[in-house]
Amino acid sequence: MSQEAISNCRYCLMCRHVAPVGHITSNETLTPHGIALMVASQRRGLLKWNTSTLRVLYAEPDAGLCRAHCVTDQRLPAAIAAVRAEIAARGLAPDTVVRLHHRLLRTGSAFGERVHQTHTHTSELALFAGDEAHNLWPESITAARLLLEACSTSAALVGAGASNGYLACSIGFPATARKNFRACVEEARDASVTQLLVLSPADLFTFRQMGPERLGVIWPADIVLTDFATFLARRIQDGTLQLRAGAGDAAYVDPTHAVRASERFNPIRSLATTVLGQAPRELFWRRERAHPVGSTAVQFTRPDIAEALTRARLEDAKATGAGSVLCEDPATLVQLTRFAPDYGLKVQGLFEALAALIRP
Amino acid sequence: MVASIEQLVYKPYYTEHRANRVDAPAQGYNEDAMQGLQAEMIRSELEEVVGTPHLSTDDTDLLVYATDWFWLPQMWLDRGKTPKKPDFIVRPNSAEQVSKVLQIANTYRIPVIPWGGGSGSQGGALSTFGGIILDTKRMNRIIEIDERSLTVTAQAGINGTQLEWAINERGLMLPHYPASANCATLGGYLAPRGTGTISTKYGKAEDLVLRMQVVLPDGHILRTPIVPQHAAGPDFYRLFLGSEGTFGVITEATMQLDYLPEVRLLRAVLFDNLSEALEAGRQIMTRRLEPFVIRLYDPRSTASRVRKILGYELEGAYMVIGFDGDRDLASLQERKAMEIIGHFGAKDLGREPGESWWKHRYDFYYPPQSLKLPWMYGTTETITTYDKIEKLYYAEKRAVEESFQDWDIDFIGHFSHWFHWGVMVYTRFIIKNPPEDPHEAVRLHNRVWNVAMTAVLENGGMVNEHHGVGLKLSRFMRRQYGDAWPLLERIKKALDPNGIMNPGKVGFGL
Repeated sequence: MSQEAISNCRYCLMCRHVAPVGHITSNETLTPHGIALMVASQRRGLLKWNTSTLRVLYAEPDAGLCRAHCVTDQRLPAAIAAVRAEIAARGLAPDTVVRLHHRLLRTGSAFGERVHQTHTHTSELALFAGDEAHNLWPESITAARLLLEACSTSAALVGAGASNGYLACSIGFPATARKNFRACVEEARDASVTQLLVLSPADLFTFRQMGPERLGVIWPADIVLTDFATFLARRIQDGTLQLRAGAGDAAYVDPTHAVRASERFNPIRSLATTVLGQAPRELFWRRERAHPVGSTAVQFTRPDIAEALTRARLEDAKATGAGSVLCEDPATLVQLTRFAPDYGLKVQGLFEALAALIRP
Repeated sequence: MVASIEQLVYKPYYTEHRANRVDAPAQGYNEDAMQGLQAEMIRSELEEVVGTPHLSTDDTDLLVYATDWFWLPQMWLDRGKTPKKPDFIVRPNSAEQVSKVLQIANTYRIPVIPWGGGSGSQGGALSTFGGIILDTKRMNRIIEIDERSLTVTAQAGINGTQLEWAINERGLMLPHYPASANCATLGGYLAPRGTGTISTKYGKAEDLVLRMQVVLPDGHILRTPIVPQHAAGPDFYRLFLGSEGTFGVITEATMQLDYLPEVRLLRAVLFDNLSEALEAGRQIMTRRLEPFVIRLYDPRSTASRVRKILGYELEGAYMVIGFDGDRDLASLQERKAMEIIGHFGAKDLGREPGESWWKHRYDFYYPPQSLKLPWMYGTTETITTYDKIEKLYYAEKRAVEESFQDWDIDFIGHFSHWFHWGVMVYTRFIIKNPPEDPHEAVRLHNRVWNVAMTAVLENGGMVNEHHGVGLKLSRFMRRQYGDAWPLLERIKKALDPNGIMNPGKVGFGL
């Protein structure tokens, strides 16, 4: 599979218009075509794995734009992850990658310690907290729980501080990724969960698509994965969740991996409209062409690329004339917050903004 | 300082004699001839202009930029061989930076190869003699959208689809829809005189440009007059359209826009034979019914296309025709065209196949559906007047098929860019089992092109209609232009006396 995508993409230029790193660097090499050609050329003996080629290999953000726009559904991001796995297996992975992997192995989290919970109560409905939200943007979890209470719904919290496996897979350690993935499944099972709410498109992508496609692990059919934003939008629509009228003016930033869960585009905007009392301002790079911020593995492997990706999103938001940006994804919010002051922008979590509208 | 280094660099590698000949291109440096010192001198000067992050001599970059979308270098790489690589890659962000890069290149007499999306199929962006790849993609700003005059002014490195998205948000379109829009740049639309899918109504890219900013080979920056239609002297701006970077670098362009159409009405029809279909197309065009597309497939393509789209076998010539704009006007134009088509007894296949073609018109470019290695392929498209086009098509088809029947060559074509006076035929050859030896493959490839282009030229065709000349067709340019070629050479020499600009392309420097 990986060989096939590398071969097919090495001379294909048809996703150039959406390729985020190619766009921010204007560098032919840092496009899907360039990376595929580099790998194909290495396999033909024309290039060697060295500092230079590895810098290119780990610059790809694994955000799914190329595949989302590919008529023939070439799985290049997965192919690149597979090449990284080859590199790791040969002991050639950069130090940063090795250190990140050790951390994932040791703690089950890239950003802190995984909380190993013993569930004192079980619940059919649960909220998956995950790694970034738990460690970097916990207010999103607090807000989500308040919103669930406002829906008169009880939900257990699972996966607090747990990597879902995406990061390990993306940097080339599928065995660790499987372990992370399965740990999340097991915790949900322990809590007798039948419906799991996820906060971000990253979790949705990882559990429903990446697992089976890249890791050979399938999310159990008896635990229904539900996007939390879509869940809330329905509750507002059917009157289960009643909120005060919001007011404001902000740009909505589609989070990293948004293109991998396109069914969220409208529900998330209906939530943003609820918060603002009007439709949010839209970025140029939005919906099916939404670029990522630097929240994937590139924040570790290519911080320069990560920063440039994030700044590009903020510049795009600034160009809308908005003074603040809204986003629901904890990982994206963390990155936006790092550089937003440089653009005079305020960053607001969408779930927190919704929770502030809960009627007393 | 520069003068003395110039002597060091220039003398051993590029003699005075050769420098004064327009057909003697500048050469890239190589380590043996120039030693590390001179290379570092050039590098540091370029770095000073574009900044460290935007200059590269990295092996990976040099290899990736060593091929565009031309079959030959792709095949060469595919067989484990490296085409001639550039020495430097620079990514300037302004005409001023481009100017300084060209001045440095003139000092050291090294080639400069402008690079847009790298999507050209003719080898126009190959660093045939090494040198500096000048990637224009950082010049990607939209400067102004004028909704009253319906124009957009943008830097030349902007991506085609990204530009179109931005214009679409105002309810407008740049009516140039090439298959390469996702990867090509605005400058890449203009430099090889590109044609898009809807050119039959809206014209080629060159017909849509009002004004350009160009950096001449000596670094001089100029703007062409504010509008192209006037009587204040000759249309010198057209010199840069089709020059493919041999006369300078296009850094900005003002393009004509149109309103997004209310409707696009498409349908498919089937003619008994190609002659009748060509005549129907001619009548539709000469009566100025303004279809935005007429796509007519030859019988060989029809057989495969109809089977694929409609699921059954049909013989004849399959045509997709479309009209756009206000619904009432487009409907009337369509009705009049269908009357003409009806006179030839063509079968109306309805809207669905036409609309399906529009929706999927570029799917063919996505692998593995696209033409792909190890196949050998090439698009020998050409254009001529209505009185010659059918004869030309059959002459080329016969010549190619008869000459290469041992290779089981497939020759197909469609007629897709129509004018008041003639039509382009998009002919293509495919050899599914070419020689494995890359050297032998190159020779076979060039023999096919020789036969095809000889047939084209002998039957009143142009060697190309919209892909450009590049390296691939360079060797046919003298024959194409005949008595007029020395004029083009004199212009080239006047503009680029050191021969630094994209040597080996468009017939110059060979």
